[in-house]
Amino acid sequence: MNPLIRRGIRERLRAKNLVAAGIFSLILTATFYLAAFFDGMQVVVPAKESPTGVAELAFNPVNGAREAFTPLLFLQGFFLMFLGTGRIASVTAEEKESGLLDYQRMTPMTPLAKIFGYLFGLPAREYWMFLVTLPFLLHCVVAGKLPLWNILHLYAVFFCSVLLYHLTAHVIGLVVPRPRAASWVARLAVLGLYIFLPALGQAGISFLSFLTILPTYFGKVLPHLFAEGTQMGRFESQVVQFWQEVPFFSISLSPTTFTFVMQGLILLALFLTGYRKWRLDSLPAFSKPMGLGLFATLQFLLLGSLWPFFSDGQASGLLGSVVQLDPAQVGLPNQLKSDAHPALAMVVVQSTFFLLSIGAILILINICCPNPHRRLKGIQRIQKLGLPAIPWLADEAPGLGFATLLALLAILPYALLHLLAVSSESIVSISSSPSSIIVPASFLLFCALSLRAAREQWFNLGFWGFVGLLWLTPMLACLVLAVNDFLGNSQLMLHLSSLSPLTFIPQLMVYHSPNLVDPANPLVDLSASVRTGMVACIIGFVFLTFKLWKSSIK
Amino acid sequence: MIEVRELTIHYGEFAAVDQLSFSVRPGSIFGLIGPNGAGKTSAIKAIATLLEPTYGEIIVQEVSALHQAEKARGFLGYMPDFPPVYEDLKVWEFCDLFAQAYGLSGEQKKAKVLQSLHATGLQDHMHTLCRTLSRGMHQRALLAKTLVHQPAVLLLDEPAANLDPKSRIDLRNILKSLAHQGKTILLSSHVLSEIEDTCDTLGFMREGKMVLSGTLDEISQERQKKNFLKIRLAKPFPLLEKIILSIPALSLFEDTGENGTEARACMDGGEMEASEVLARLVEAGVPVSGFAIEKTRVEDLFLELESQPARKGDQP
Repeated sequence: MNPLIRRGIRERLRAKNLVAAGIFSLILTATFYLAAFFDGMQVVVPAKESPTGVAELAFNPVNGAREAFTPLLFLQGFFLMFLGTGRIASVTAEEKESGLLDYQRMTPMTPLAKIFGYLFGLPAREYWMFLVTLPFLLHCVVAGKLPLWNILHLYAVFFCSVLLYHLTAHVIGLVVPRPRAASWVARLAVLGLYIFLPALGQAGISFLSFLTILPTYFGKVLPHLFAEGTQMGRFESQVVQFWQEVPFFSISLSPTTFTFVMQGLILLALFLTGYRKWRLDSLPAFSKPMGLGLFATLQFLLLGSLWPFFSDGQASGLLGSVVQLDPAQVGLPNQLKSDAHPALAMVVVQSTFFLLSIGAILILINICCPNPHRRLKGIQRIQKLGLPAIPWLADEAPGLGFATLLALLAILPYALLHLLAVSSESIVSISSSPSSIIVPASFLLFCALSLRAAREQWFNLGFWGFVGLLWLTPMLACLVLAVNDFLGNSQLMLHLSSLSPLTFIPQLMVYHSPNLVDPANPLVDLSASVRTGMVACIIGFVFLTFKLWKSSIK
Repeated sequence: MIEVRELTIHYGEFAAVDQLSFSVRPGSIFGLIGPNGAGKTSAIKAIATLLEPTYGEIIVQEVSALHQAEKARGFLGYMPDFPPVYEDLKVWEFCDLFAQAYGLSGEQKKAKVLQSLHATGLQDHMHTLCRTLSRGMHQRALLAKTLVHQPAVLLLDEPAANLDPKSRIDLRNILKSLAHQGKTILLSSHVLSEIEDTCDTLGFMREGKMVLSGTLDEISQERQKKNFLKIRLAKPFPLLEKIILSIPALSLFEDTGENGTEARACMDGGEMEASEVLARLVEAGVPVSGFAIEKTRVEDLFLELESQPARKGDQP
């Protein structure tokens, strides 16, 4: 047995822990499960259907078990996903701070074995609490006559998700310096990565929906959880339908397969990060080639997910519903054309694509481009070794090529999707002007290069301060102006918001959308604010690059 | 063996370790001494493969610790400064964890665990939870864990910190016995008497550089044209200080004993000069009952180095 798993069992499952945690889990599960079971079991038989002619209460254990399944699953998720995740993040960070991790780092076990040891050893008690819930699950499946194959699908994805959450927590524990922060950062990251991001699935980025167990739960299990003899409601039917198959390029994938693919890719990225951090703590989480590979994969998934929408306007989720709406049912503002909702959907999808790409570029530049210390270390090293330059993919190498490649990797699928939509007969809400590709692409490139220049000349406080100031402050100022006088300040608000990439990108997309704004009824001059945004972006790029160049000379 | 060549570690522009070179041969105990911030811990961490140096080379048992870190780690046993333990494990479980992590199994593992517990005197506490150990026992548990896979090279950062005198003597004996078995031991300490008693070779670090290294005698010879003379008198002699200071080779007088029967003097030169001094004292009628060249103390060297001004332009 892996010594770290054995250590976890010895530390957290001594007899007294075993009994206490077992009783706690048993009481909690029994309470939730039995309450839901007895509640779901009761069926009122109307007087006219009753053999006695009086309304009666009947008991159906099948319905009870089906009712109890979801609370049971929730409780199992609480044990493994919530408690286990927090435990792994905080202990990893504590051991890193105290130096215990260094003892392990020095042992000849492979980094993979160490990662597995931490993933399965630290939450040993949480796994035990989960085990205690299994008899209830068995009862639920048998009494509720649930299809075993679908349940196995769900639990395979459940464990894959648990592994994913735990690995996220472990990697965060390895990366975040303060133990108390690590536990909460891990929980927040899990919420963000696996709850918030999947919501973007409704905006056409379907692959993001498959980071959780929800697709398998809704697609495979929910249809079997209704009480005997009852039909699914409209909402339930829509939900089940949404998770049945995943459009990807021109094919469809089952939700379980797609979930495994998505989670597998994230697991791979996290394993690679964990591997590097276990080898040497001071290494950045990703090397430059890893960063590029990860970003290329993200862009491929974005391309595949958005392909059906850009080729023939097909979309699932809320986006699909919006596209199919009757114009008469949509109450759009006067400034927009009456049939603008497909164009609006296109703007939402394009903005989401760009914002996701720019978010990923920000994170990757922060990780892979060297801070001033690392840059200096590279310079000192080549001076000593008499090398002409730092190899461009080394961690210490300047990130100019890296940032440019990231921007190009994002521009390429955007251009491809754009051209696909232009050539499609069913899409009318897209501009065929070359500037609708060139302007957003240039913005993305300058933005990436500015971020790289900022990263390489400032430490964390300076870099994140710069990003926060530039990306968030204009939005906050707009908020104040909007409260003061929305209509009177609207042009000023547009100019201000064009300074932040988060608000400038939707502006750019609206500006280039041919069928959205009603030219007869303009409220604001978008072309002026787009010019402001572009000029600000270029000035920022020139200023930061010059400043970095000056510091390099010094 | 350990061989360190031009090891340089930068934190930004500050060089914590600057072109450090030294070697430790098998069977030797090398003591690194230096004030706080001298770069001892950074150097030891780099040798332990836990810190990436800016440049330089570290060879452990003929394996590069920089380019083949995983392989080099198999030869290393590392005990850090302020060492933590797994508090919820028992002492034997703590050692067992690392025995298994280093690839030992079955009876061999059991034997090595018991052996390391015996070597550190922890056999009676093997079933105690680590959280309940005293500081000294805690330190022993760490040493037991470090020894469990019988590493060829031991890196001990302040191993005597927190130990009571008895434990220090035990630690010294353990380390000497390990050196006799052919282990290469590198340790750093602030307890200078401990270093003096335990180590056969010393390295003085200051501001990231090795300013002196070698055996204590070698260092003394290289370092000093001066020696201390220890003079014992049969009876008090009031004119002793005046006579001593009148001899050109002597420059300092210290009355070190009670009743004025013991004194210490600083002398330029070696044994020849000492014999001349003795002749002059006897000639002057001083009742000399004992006369010896005092062995140089690490503390004297340390204080002498400490009193020298810092390098120009260096950061604190």
